[in-house]
Amino acid sequence: MIEVNPQDYDIVLKIKDESDIAVSRQMAKNFAQKMNFSLADVTKIATAVSELARNIYRYAKEGYIYIREKEAGPEKAITIEILACDEGPGIENVELAVSGGYTTSERSLGLGLAGIRRLMDSFHIESEVGKGTAVIVEKRRHAY
Amino acid sequence: MKSKVVPTIKLYDYLLVPIQIELDDNTVERLQMQILHEIHENDVRGIIIDVSMVDVIDSYISFVLSETAGMAKAMGCHTVICGIQPQVALTLAQMGIRLKDIITARSLEDAIDILDELD
Repeated sequence: MIEVNPQDYDIVLKIKDESDIAVSRQMAKNFAQKMNFSLADVTKIATAVSELARNIYRYAKEGYIYIREKEAGPEKAITIEILACDEGPGIENVELAVSGGYTTSERSLGLGLAGIRRLMDSFHIESEVGKGTAVIVEKRRHAY
Repeated sequence: MKSKVVPTIKLYDYLLVPIQIELDDNTVERLQMQILHEIHENDVRGIIIDVSMVDVIDSYISFVLSETAGMAKAMGCHTVICGIQPQVALTLAQMGIRLKDIITARSLEDAIDILDELD
């Protein structure tokens, strides 16, 4: 799985309780606002983090969300990177989980991962059954 | 009944639910129970959920709101959501989330008009 050095990140959030989902959403929102993202993008980022945090809480019981600001690509665009990782059960069929409308959970639309992918500019997932899951997403800040 | 998650207002035969708090999973689940109890106790014909102060609605919150509307429907009650912020609408649509069983309105006045026309 992905090696993480927490010192490389601006925000480290531990997801352990249900209330941590709302906390992580709020933290992501504040950070994206501070980075001067548009209101629409702040909302998309906060929503994506909310989905990631819920997946951790629901399927892995606990895990971490790391957030940082970075420059991406040759044009050095200001970008927010969010990494969500856990050592939970992993996802058996990643393609199916990301396709949307599929869920193993009862009270769910099954749109979490598919939705995150649509909201963000880049989406990368690694998962291994019995080992855990890591999702990395990015969103570039657009110039106005 | 235990203390209310959201203070509600009875208006005509309708129950007005202005959400002005951060919706975490537990809160939205308790709100669902609260609304169902209030429909039962107050003989409500329509619910108006005002989300103009809510700045993030994710897939689970949408799911519970739709589920609540479905339950209210089973009790003979329509559910209208009003005041969805533009960036929230954008996010929901991009994620592919549909608010099942829910009527949407632009404003509170609009919501009342819609409910008046329904019966």
